[in-house]
Amino acid sequence: MSSWLDYTINGLIVGNVYALVAVGLALIFGVSRLINFAQGSIYLVGAYIGWVAVVQLHTPLPLTIIVVAAAAALVGLIIERFGLRPLQNSVRIAPLLATIGISFVLDQLVMLTFSPNPRALPSQLPDVRFQVGGGTIGPLDLLIAGVGITSALLLFVFLRYSKLGWAVRAASQDRDAAMQMGVDVNRVNQAVFGIAAALGGVSGMLVGMYYNQIDTAMSLQATLKGVVAEVVGGAGNVPGAVVGSLLLGLVESYGVAVFGTSYRNLFAFLLLVVVLVLRPNGLFASARQAPPEPLTGTFIAPSRPVRIPRWALAVAAAIFAILPLFPVSFYVLQTLINAWLLGMLALSLTLVAGTIGQVSLGHAALLAIGAYTSALLSLTFAVPVGLAIIGGGLMSAALGTTLISPSFRLRGHYVSIATLAIGEIVSLVILNWESVTRGPIGISGIPPLSLFGYDLISPTSIYWFSLSVMVVLALLQGRLLTSHLGRSFRAIRDDDIAARAYGLSLNRYKSLAFIFGGFAAGISGGIAAHLYSYINHETFNTQQSILALTVVILGGLGNVVGAILGSVALVGLPEMFRIAAEYRILIYGIVLLLLVRFRPQGLLGTI
Amino acid sequence: MLSLRGLTRRFGGLTAVDAINLDLAKGELVSIIGPNGAGKTTLFNLVTGLDRPDAGAVQFEGQGITGLSPERLAAEGIARTFQLGRVFGNLSVMDNVLIGAHTRLRAVKPAFPVIGPLLELGLALLRPASVKAEEERLREEVKAILARFGERLLPRVDQPAYSLSYANRRRVEIARALALKPRLLLLDEPTAGMNPTETAEMQALVAELKAEGLTILLIEHKLEMVMRLSDRVIVMDEGKKIAEGLGEQVRSDPKVIEAYLGHGLSGTAEQESAA
Amino acid sequence: MTNASPEALLALSNVNTFYGQAQVHFDLSISVARGHIVCLLGGNASGKSTTMKIILGLVKPRSGEVTFDGASLVGLTTPQIVRRGIASVPEARRLFAEMSVRENILMGAFVRNDREAIAQDLDRMLTLFPKLGQRLSQRAGSLSGGEQQMVAMARALMSRPRMIVMDEPTMGLSPLYVDRVLELIRTINQEGVSVFMVEQNASLALEIAHEAYVLQTGKIVLSGPARALKDDPRVRDAYLGGSEAA
Repeated sequence: MSSWLDYTINGLIVGNVYALVAVGLALIFGVSRLINFAQGSIYLVGAYIGWVAVVQLHTPLPLTIIVVAAAAALVGLIIERFGLRPLQNSVRIAPLLATIGISFVLDQLVMLTFSPNPRALPSQLPDVRFQVGGGTIGPLDLLIAGVGITSALLLFVFLRYSKLGWAVRAASQDRDAAMQMGVDVNRVNQAVFGIAAALGGVSGMLVGMYYNQIDTAMSLQATLKGVVAEVVGGAGNVPGAVVGSLLLGLVESYGVAVFGTSYRNLFAFLLLVVVLVLRPNGLFASARQAPPEPLTGTFIAPSRPVRIPRWALAVAAAIFAILPLFPVSFYVLQTLINAWLLGMLALSLTLVAGTIGQVSLGHAALLAIGAYTSALLSLTFAVPVGLAIIGGGLMSAALGTTLISPSFRLRGHYVSIATLAIGEIVSLVILNWESVTRGPIGISGIPPLSLFGYDLISPTSIYWFSLSVMVVLALLQGRLLTSHLGRSFRAIRDDDIAARAYGLSLNRYKSLAFIFGGFAAGISGGIAAHLYSYINHETFNTQQSILALTVVILGGLGNVVGAILGSVALVGLPEMFRIAAEYRILIYGIVLLLLVRFRPQGLLGTI
Repeated sequence: MLSLRGLTRRFGGLTAVDAINLDLAKGELVSIIGPNGAGKTTLFNLVTGLDRPDAGAVQFEGQGITGLSPERLAAEGIARTFQLGRVFGNLSVMDNVLIGAHTRLRAVKPAFPVIGPLLELGLALLRPASVKAEEERLREEVKAILARFGERLLPRVDQPAYSLSYANRRRVEIARALALKPRLLLLDEPTAGMNPTETAEMQALVAELKAEGLTILLIEHKLEMVMRLSDRVIVMDEGKKIAEGLGEQVRSDPKVIEAYLGHGLSGTAEQESAA
Repeated sequence: MTNASPEALLALSNVNTFYGQAQVHFDLSISVARGHIVCLLGGNASGKSTTMKIILGLVKPRSGEVTFDGASLVGLTTPQIVRRGIASVPEARRLFAEMSVRENILMGAFVRNDREAIAQDLDRMLTLFPKLGQRLSQRAGSLSGGEQQMVAMARALMSRPRMIVMDEPTMGLSPLYVDRVLELIRTINQEGVSVFMVEQNASLALEIAHEAYVLQTGKIVLSGPARALKDDPRVRDAYLGGSEAA
């Protein structure tokens, strides 16, 4: 019995921490209709600023909290001013992509400054436990609860009694009307980002103290948890975010109690998917209303794609095909093989994110499914590698589509959240389903690529193999785009309401897009598994999903040639300039930010 | 052909559509008029499945269709246009109108779960001669539909819809609806944003469609057009049907004058009669 | 067509507006004399609401000039324009649905800092709109359409504007409230506030307006004193009649 009380207390404390993140997300969503994917990065920054304050400057606790809140708020203000304000009049997808880019840049800057190794963050509080009923509670628990409650009170007073607070509330209910009352929406945005960042930063510091450890992986986890809590409470609903956070904390805590620690996140994401499917507007929402009529597709910028003549493409393909016949280094071939593998993933993502408009942030999960299927088929069932890879593609198409299908009824930013969560779920299932996936140990000794009994071991043969697979997939996708399906996918992207009114079933066409895309991604993952010979649940991570998204935006959404061009550019250029690996992700983040700001239609344009 | 019984839809405290009854016979053109905010568009949404009623029933060709999805209703032959225009911005005029013919595509027909969609994917990739021929035929058909708008759309057939003027977007929507070969056509203010010449063209087109036997439900503010085209006129105000009848009957109904034409007019009428 | 007269409080001259590649306004020129009620008539999608957005700075014209009290409004943000003395009653009211009626009305005084006078003005609103007295603590979203319109008008007056712009103030209201709104617009005007309103309901608007303009597909096709336009058959033809006006 006593342990249940402990789990309840733990759940509420963790819920308090989530609430600090989620309330900020809700404020921002309320005013800007934006899910701020950089919230976790601010949390991370807060934790490291806390570390600097405590460990290097030896500040007393109250001062630490103030320093962290102020510094994090400053970061929030900078993000708002330079990252998001310039995008105010651009298409709705732009700020979403920008926060993703910002999050990568911030995370990498923290990693480069402090190294990726975990650090200890002492709590500065005496290590005692008080008996409460059957459970125990420590001073840090009380501190977290106190910070949570104080912040909620301060926020309440701010929103209810200050002029700026009124402006925030008015702007979140009707931005245009608020402007017509003289509310300066830029100031409101500043206030909201400042508050959200301060709360997020303090939250990161408290969590660091709670576990006495901080590392750069905290960022994505925090964003995900905050988003889960916010969506459960209803996006933009501040009190809802608090309730959603406490609920999430309890669900996780009880889940851990029953199934063990490694299931914690699985419960969080399952809760998210269930809420998104059953009550996409959150637990407390009631209104169901058709969205206002757009004049034309507004999520993705209109553009005229650059037309590249067929002969030019054929010449380019021929040049790459005969490249290994010339004395090129092993290193160049290796780089291009990576580009072709990424190209297959980008083809897949450009179809689902660009052509049908489902901006997936969990696309690496499709790689993972393909890779594990192909690896296990060839290892356990001795299926020939060529067939195993195709099996990986098929499994990824079938299973991936089934898993992602709950997101088909969602739109815009919600799709991104759902796919991100589903991607995490896949990775967690791989981690926990030890009897099949070998859990955290991963799968080693995967047989090398082979075709019709001949092993493909030389770089040249691997190069040709991966290039030809990618070209075949690209040709198929090009053919798909010129069929009635391509037309239907693009219609759904531009206006799903009008599309439905003309008989296009969203489930059917989104499924078909994911089946086709899942196959390409699964093939890419399958080939990768046999190339690497070892994979585990972290081989295909969110960074790859974001890299693929950057490639797709760079090339132009929905653009087949653009996806390949983007892959070569983003894999090839860093290699050419010999940029060290740890700076690459930083560069991808910056590229994404610059693209969103200056060329949202990408190099070759949206199709 | 279409019959609405006690159709009701509430938004919060507001009853947008309040117990509406309406019958539409085959080949009839019925207009719905009423001030902005009277619930006309909400009524269209309820009939086409984009919104579900809180009470009441919709029958189409003798079958209950209340609460069916818009995709199903499109397949049943109900096509509509949207008040503010919902064209597919990045699609060419040709592709926009071809989407209208979507429910007629052979590849779309097989309704088996899983296998149907996979067959559709296969057909799209392999494109056997029959599929190619069908696509060719539909393209010709689209051109014939676009030709009904004279030279307004034909020269722009390959341009993306976002580059069109308002009036042309409106025309693309109507062309898209016609490509469905509808049994029932719902037009939501087809002449909004059009000048008199364009309005006259649109009126002529709607008259043509009516003469061809198409059943049409029309929302329109331009009374002259409504009077000329309609077999019957229904007047809505605050979600309720306040009058129904032949054009001239409705026009002289004092309740209608009050609600729709504005009490200013009735004031003038009184002054005139006093004088 | 009336040109901007010296006593014009608000003047739009040769405004051209685009949404993407579609042109919404063609050389639009409108002027509102100090102390007058001016009405812009037109059908849906004629460019009426966009005219309101141009005045309020919510949409930027591609070319042309907008002046208020002699100074240009082009390039100013909406809050800056509101501070110059223009208040708005937006289309469909656009109240802050989750805030109380009291908070909604007080939001109208957002640009002011004189607490005492604001409190007095709130009392004044309750005399002008007596019904709102009992509703002050209610959620604005729970009011009926007519009551919401009263709140929207009270909210606009709270900034002590020199001019109010109204977008279809009678839309969706029952005849009783239409009369009430009409009277109130007159009262407000008699207290010295100039009014620019966009209306679809021509006869009604012409009852109370001094001057009127008829907008059709982004062009002014008719303008003049309201009294003259009231009996002009071309007004109805222009935007209700349709085909015959050509």
